Amino acid sequence: MILLVVLLLGVFILYLFIGRYPRLGFTSIRDLLHDTTTQRVFFSLRLPRALGAFLLGTVLGGAGAMLQTIFGNPLVDAGFLGVSQGSAFGAAIALVLGSGPSLAKNLGDKGLAVFVMSLSFVMALGALALSLFLAKKFKFGGQVLRLVLAGLAVSAFFSSLLAAVKYVADPLKTLPDIVFWTMGSLSAMTWQKLAGIAPLAAASVIVMFVLRWRSSLLSLDDQVSRSLGLHPEAERAIAAVFAALGVAAMTASCGIVAWVGLVVPQGARIIFGPDGRDALPASMLGGAVFVLLADGIAKNLFSGELPLGIVTALMGALLFVFVLTSRKTEMAR
Amino acid sequence: MKAVSLENISFSRLGRGRILEDISFSIEAGKKVAILGANGAGKTTLLSLISGHLKAESGKIELNGQPLRSLSPIERARMIALLPQIERLPFNYSVLDFVLMGRAPHIQALSQPSEQDYAMARSALAELHLEHLEKRSAAEISGGEFQLIRIARCLAQEADTLVLDEPTSLLDPANSQRVARELALLAEKNRTIIFSTHDLALVQSVSDLVLLLYNKKIMMFDIPSAVLEPKFLEKSYGISFRMLQVPTAYLA
Repeated sequence: MILLVVLLLGVFILYLFIGRYPRLGFTSIRDLLHDTTTQRVFFSLRLPRALGAFLLGTVLGGAGAMLQTIFGNPLVDAGFLGVSQGSAFGAAIALVLGSGPSLAKNLGDKGLAVFVMSLSFVMALGALALSLFLAKKFKFGGQVLRLVLAGLAVSAFFSSLLAAVKYVADPLKTLPDIVFWTMGSLSAMTWQKLAGIAPLAAASVIVMFVLRWRSSLLSLDDQVSRSLGLHPEAERAIAAVFAALGVAAMTASCGIVAWVGLVVPQGARIIFGPDGRDALPASMLGGAVFVLLADGIAKNLFSGELPLGIVTALMGALLFVFVLTSRKTEMAR
Repeated sequence: MKAVSLENISFSRLGRGRILEDISFSIEAGKKVAILGANGAGKTTLLSLISGHLKAESGKIELNGQPLRSLSPIERARMIALLPQIERLPFNYSVLDFVLMGRAPHIQALSQPSEQDYAMARSALAELHLEHLEKRSAAEISGGEFQLIRIARCLAQEADTLVLDEPTSLLDPANSQRVARELALLAEKNRTIIFSTHDLALVQSVSDLVLLLYNKKIMMFDIPSAVLEPKFLEKSYGISFRMLQVPTAYLA
């Protein structure tokens, strides 16, 4: 675990010092000390973006580990409660409304960004609430299956609404923004944006970390955890809400970044063991490393920027195949 | 003191009608009680009621003299530990981490297990002669060993009363014998043990008392030699029985 912290620090520093200004490659300390433009790039662009990547990875990895553990299902991540689709729909609606002549004039660029973020956050939480509500109403299956089914229904509902919004969106101005947003990016990360999401993300990370052992207890059958003195339904709902809260905040500002929450906890469990006290912190650290690496590639590989979600999906799929074919993977009973 | 007492307990399940009707009995602390009855006689329902997982329609249940309804889940978990018949292992936890989860009722919701909790988990493993398994994955040990580490988790819970739902069924003869042997050793200590089973040898080696369920009611509640009579078993299970005397060495 200490090794993972060292790795994270190393990747973080590398991320800060590799870029395209003043020239492609490593930024030298001398440039940083003497060149004011380099300083500006370093402190107003790279540092907030690096912190954003760190936060995004920590939240996505932690939330993935938390949700997989409490639902006893290794194929679950934050997307499955409808959070991603809900926030994508919210952002798309905001982009379409915001591009209208009357609203655009009033909002300005900054206002539009805040509008997109708020609406997507609200819709993400709305989707989560809808999933939890439907899961309670469903008459079929146990608690976990009902939640998965409810999440499925809510995701499908919001992705069809998203498709409808895309269909009516201006194909030259608004549609590219929506598409870019659904692929996720950290390119617009600023100190101001970071300050907006950091408290929510931090609250989510802290609560998940505190519940790390509790999460293992919730992975057991309800009958067992209840006989150990837990309230499995209520405690699972609280843990899920805090996990989703962080994801909703991050998704609202960075768009949908797929696969991190699914694949990082799988690797973490294999390397550090499945107990929540190991798997959860390892997934947070591992998620941060993963996103920093992926975003480093996304912004430096080509002169134009790649959407982060594409890089994480590519890396995630490769890692997924690697994990599932590795010798250490053994199915639990 | 009475570890468990039931008064006029009735329970129905939607679509299946009455399952238990007007059940009353009590169990002195430290007694080992076997619950017998045909499939569907209500054994599991009765155990779920005693351990607080189902609510009775009417009647009163007390644990250690306190009404079950007045107990918080944690208070209840410190008094009674339940071993459900079937359990899914969601991840391949190590044996020690798995048994450690039994400490939950003694650890606050936002804290982590302490050294003392580890010591309790290890002594629970030692009581069942499983110390050597502690680092192994719970997914790769034998079925009998998995059943035993589940029992160890109940022991780590430090409850006075253990409720075991068919602890030896679903195991092959060798594993079932191993579990039975450990249960007989546990029975020599002063915990209260209530278990359901179809294994009459287990009844003889573990229990002080036998409760025979038939037709939603208690047919008999007496010492094993009184209940394990062919005529009673025949009525309860609906097939004929013949008792053979076998040297006990074969059973152990």
